[in-house]
Amino acid sequence: MQLELNHYLWLSAFMFTVGVVGVLVRRNAIVIFMCIELMLNAVNLSFIAFSHFMRDIQGQLMVFFVMTVAAAEAAVGLAIVIALFRNKQTVNIDEINILKG
Amino acid sequence: MPNDYLLSLPILAAAGWSVLLIILEAMLSRAALTRVFAMLGFALVGGLSVIGFPLQGLAFSEMLRIGGFQHFANIIFCLSGLLVVALSEKYLDDENVHYGEYYIVAFISVVGMMLLAAAANMAILFIGLEMMSIALYVLAGLMRRDVRSNEAAMKYFLLGAFASGLLLYGISLIYGATGELALHKIAIAIQTGSASMLFWIGFGLLITGFLFKISAVPFHQWTPDVYDGSPTPAAAFMSTGAKAAAFSALIVVVTNFSTLLQNSPTWSLVISSIALATMVVGNIAALAQENLKRMLAYSSVAHAGYMLVGIAAATPDGYSGIMFYTLVYTLMNIGAFGVVALLESKENLLLASDYAGLFKHRPMLAGAMAVFMLSLAGVPPLGGFIGKYKVFAAAVDAKLTWLALAGVLASAVSAYYYLRVVYFMFMRDPVGEAISAPATSSLAFALIAVAVVLLGVFPTEILRITDAALKFAQLPTQTGF
Amino acid sequence: MESSVLSLVIFLPFLLSFPLFSFNRAQHGTARWYALLSSLLVFAGALYLALQFNPSSGFQFEHTALQNWLGDSMDVKYSVALDGTSMLLFAFAAFMFPVVVLGSWERVTTNAREYYFFLLMLETCILGIFSAVDLFLYYMFWEAMLIPMYFLIGVWGGNGRGDAATKFFIYMLTASLVMLIGILSLGYISREMGGTFTTDYHKLLQLELPLSVQNILFWLFGLSFFVKAPLFPLHTWAADVYSESPTGAVLTGVLLKMATYALIRFNVMLFPTASANFAPLVCTLAVVAIIYGALVAMSQPNAKRLLAFSSVSHLGFIVLGIFSFTQEALQGAMILMVNSGLTTGLLLMLVGWLEERRGDVRLSEFGGLKKNMPMFSAAFLIATFASIGLPGLSGFIGEFLTLSGAFKSTTLQTGLYAMLAALGVILSAAYMLPMVQKIFTGELTSERNAALSDLTPREILVAALLVAMIIWIGVAPNSFLKLSETSSQAVIEFVTQKSASQALAK
Repeated sequence: MQLELNHYLWLSAFMFTVGVVGVLVRRNAIVIFMCIELMLNAVNLSFIAFSHFMRDIQGQLMVFFVMTVAAAEAAVGLAIVIALFRNKQTVNIDEINILKG
Repeated sequence: MPNDYLLSLPILAAAGWSVLLIILEAMLSRAALTRVFAMLGFALVGGLSVIGFPLQGLAFSEMLRIGGFQHFANIIFCLSGLLVVALSEKYLDDENVHYGEYYIVAFISVVGMMLLAAAANMAILFIGLEMMSIALYVLAGLMRRDVRSNEAAMKYFLLGAFASGLLLYGISLIYGATGELALHKIAIAIQTGSASMLFWIGFGLLITGFLFKISAVPFHQWTPDVYDGSPTPAAAFMSTGAKAAAFSALIVVVTNFSTLLQNSPTWSLVISSIALATMVVGNIAALAQENLKRMLAYSSVAHAGYMLVGIAAATPDGYSGIMFYTLVYTLMNIGAFGVVALLESKENLLLASDYAGLFKHRPMLAGAMAVFMLSLAGVPPLGGFIGKYKVFAAAVDAKLTWLALAGVLASAVSAYYYLRVVYFMFMRDPVGEAISAPATSSLAFALIAVAVVLLGVFPTEILRITDAALKFAQLPTQTGF
Repeated sequence: MESSVLSLVIFLPFLLSFPLFSFNRAQHGTARWYALLSSLLVFAGALYLALQFNPSSGFQFEHTALQNWLGDSMDVKYSVALDGTSMLLFAFAAFMFPVVVLGSWERVTTNAREYYFFLLMLETCILGIFSAVDLFLYYMFWEAMLIPMYFLIGVWGGNGRGDAATKFFIYMLTASLVMLIGILSLGYISREMGGTFTTDYHKLLQLELPLSVQNILFWLFGLSFFVKAPLFPLHTWAADVYSESPTGAVLTGVLLKMATYALIRFNVMLFPTASANFAPLVCTLAVVAIIYGALVAMSQPNAKRLLAFSSVSHLGFIVLGIFSFTQEALQGAMILMVNSGLTTGLLLMLVGWLEERRGDVRLSEFGGLKKNMPMFSAAFLIATFASIGLPGLSGFIGEFLTLSGAFKSTTLQTGLYAMLAALGVILSAAYMLPMVQKIFTGELTSERNAALSDLTPREILVAALLVAMIIWIGVAPNSFLKLSETSSQAVIEFVTQKSASQALAK
């Protein structure tokens, strides 16, 4: 079977959806963060697929930017989670609810 | 091309200056010094934008678009940064988190904002947005021993990253639909062909990402929690600089696709409904808040709604109104947050009722706060009124009179909670001992208040500038090259 | 001829208000003398304008500045001028401010300089309201006025002052924001009808607006003025605000008939056909207000609230006068605007002084005051008679002209309105006289009342000033009527002609 653009796009859309649903239903901050990473990687996949099938280099360039930014985001995000864990001994977002009103 | 460097000099200078700040802090690690240099940097970059105002064009392989609009936006970002840094020191000292990194991160965030406003390509748009946002996550979590600050940072981070994911997916779909990442080329591709379903989904996701950043309903839930838990000066920064940046980028994007969007009744209806919901929900929720930081957070949601009215109008007048609005909003909101920070830092006074009798002890501070509150409520002759006038005028012009009418009624509701603060400051007797604050800061607030009044009475020149600044943003495909 | 003398008079109080802050905070003595002199200076300026004023021609003392105030796409500017309709009220407003300063001489002792600061700010806004001939500028003044009013009521008012101030502010703001939409729509309609977005009053007068547009705009504008006036059934804020406000704020902010002036200036002139069409409806509301106000006033146990409702009732006469569309009635309405400020103002001030002395304004608390407060009683009685409309005093001439004009009105077609309104005159005696009776006649039952002192020389001076005006208008109304005669004539002609031509076009 020849893999076509649509196959990649559907896979990408599926991964993205899994990520979105994960963000919405999971309660562990680390898992939510992983789901966000999954979303970003789904995007990367679609960029590369488009780039490949349209014979255009820009999409692949974009992927590098996304990966770099995701790394920076991970650094900051994990630092935040650690700071929180030190103070609260939990990463469950249901238990992190001082701020409300 | 040297011309490129000249064009993007403010951005380059800002980026370079942030490296300088990092080196400075690493070598000397003296927060007070870094602060002074950060302020100098903001002044320098803002000054460069003023000098370079007439320059316009595309730079660096059409990655950046620089024009009056971008320069004007840069000035707002620098103003926001400068004021926030100026008002931060006492707060950070009192909270025991006076690190030099705070100023560096704030500076880097401004670089991100400038990139965001100058983006001519989706890649720059994304990088600018992330540069700004990641820096803001750090600012939100600055008080790392305070669990409230942790929580704010985490909520902001998770939702912000989620929004970036949506935005990015939108970009990839637009790329797939048109084969381009440069904004103006995308516009051309759509004009020659037609906008496919894929494009519209991508565009919807892109806009959703922006709506998160400007905290429009229904993507606003993070706002009160994040503003509440963050260090107050950082909240002021998020609500002014970051919001201005997101609106600048939004304006760039929608003007870029103006021909497409003007013929789309759905777009107009969707964005009008979101503007309406944002104004109504923001104001109604703010009514119920006792805590001033949360009140200001919901008020910032409501103000995003007023500004969205200008986007819904989709006319140059509307966009120019938003630009003016962001300028005034930067001044008055930083003023309001600044006063809150001043009183919060020592004694943790955060309720409107804590302000009882402020007028008796600190008449100048109370007077300045009253100006900010009345200006936020949009009462003439203060700057906030002119901003509202311009966006609502644009809405009436665009036959969205119903939206304008809803907007003014919502802003009448808002008067109630702004006035509550004034009521406590002026019409109640103080409880407990006098609230202490250094006299110099009162003077600073008085100056901001005077600026807000002047913008209300003599807005003409600024409005001329915003009108003119938009010309370049308006004509993306007709740049001389 | 371009001259900035009018602008100078308008902004004089504003400019003079800042030196107040150089005074010592604790010394209220200097502040009040300074405020008195400032307001007298402004009055002198207004008097100068009134003497220079030529009643037989239209707008005078025009001054424009700040062209394209809000950017080049909108013809919005700073533009002021006076005509017959506004001259009288302009001068009257300037007259009232020194009176108000004198009236609050003893009462305001805390934060006096801020009090006079806001009072002078208020004066600039009010003078601006009476002279603006650009709708945007008018709106700026109209809303800006809320800020000093809010503080005057909220900081120096009675026990419920904070709530009264907020109530006042929100009511006014909501109504005027609706007017803002009206102004914007009108501006864009003017652009559609050829030309640019404009808020210039003279240019807008030239527009031939379709009736359907007029009908909508009439209410967008009118709502703001009816709330402010206040016209029944939008009067619900009035009683609270009247009874909680410091005397000065009520006198100037509420009693100066800015809203009814605006009705003539904007609603009637800009939307003549709609005004003529809605006249029966508006006049019905006016008559209801006259009678309702009077009936409610009768049952009020508190003197300030009684006066609030009597003012609602008086307002009905003014609106009736305006919407009768005869020159006679309009002139009557003009005089009534001044009269209402004078008489209700004097009464409120007197009641305020009584409150200072006694700490109460409930009618049941008083009795027999004529024995120990003869001067007070005399002043009160004269004001009451003027308010009821006794011949020889200012109230009579205004009510007479209004009623006879309304009776003859061709727009209203029936004299029924006038007849019902005349009932209000009788009713006004029925609530005012019992009040006088309760306060002044009978025996001095309570010792606290017996201990009350009569008016001080300063208070006598203030009362005498107002009484002199009341008698002057009552005896020689022509010296006032002639100011507005030509312009009233012009208003009526303009409306008749416009609505006739539109009726013809249909």
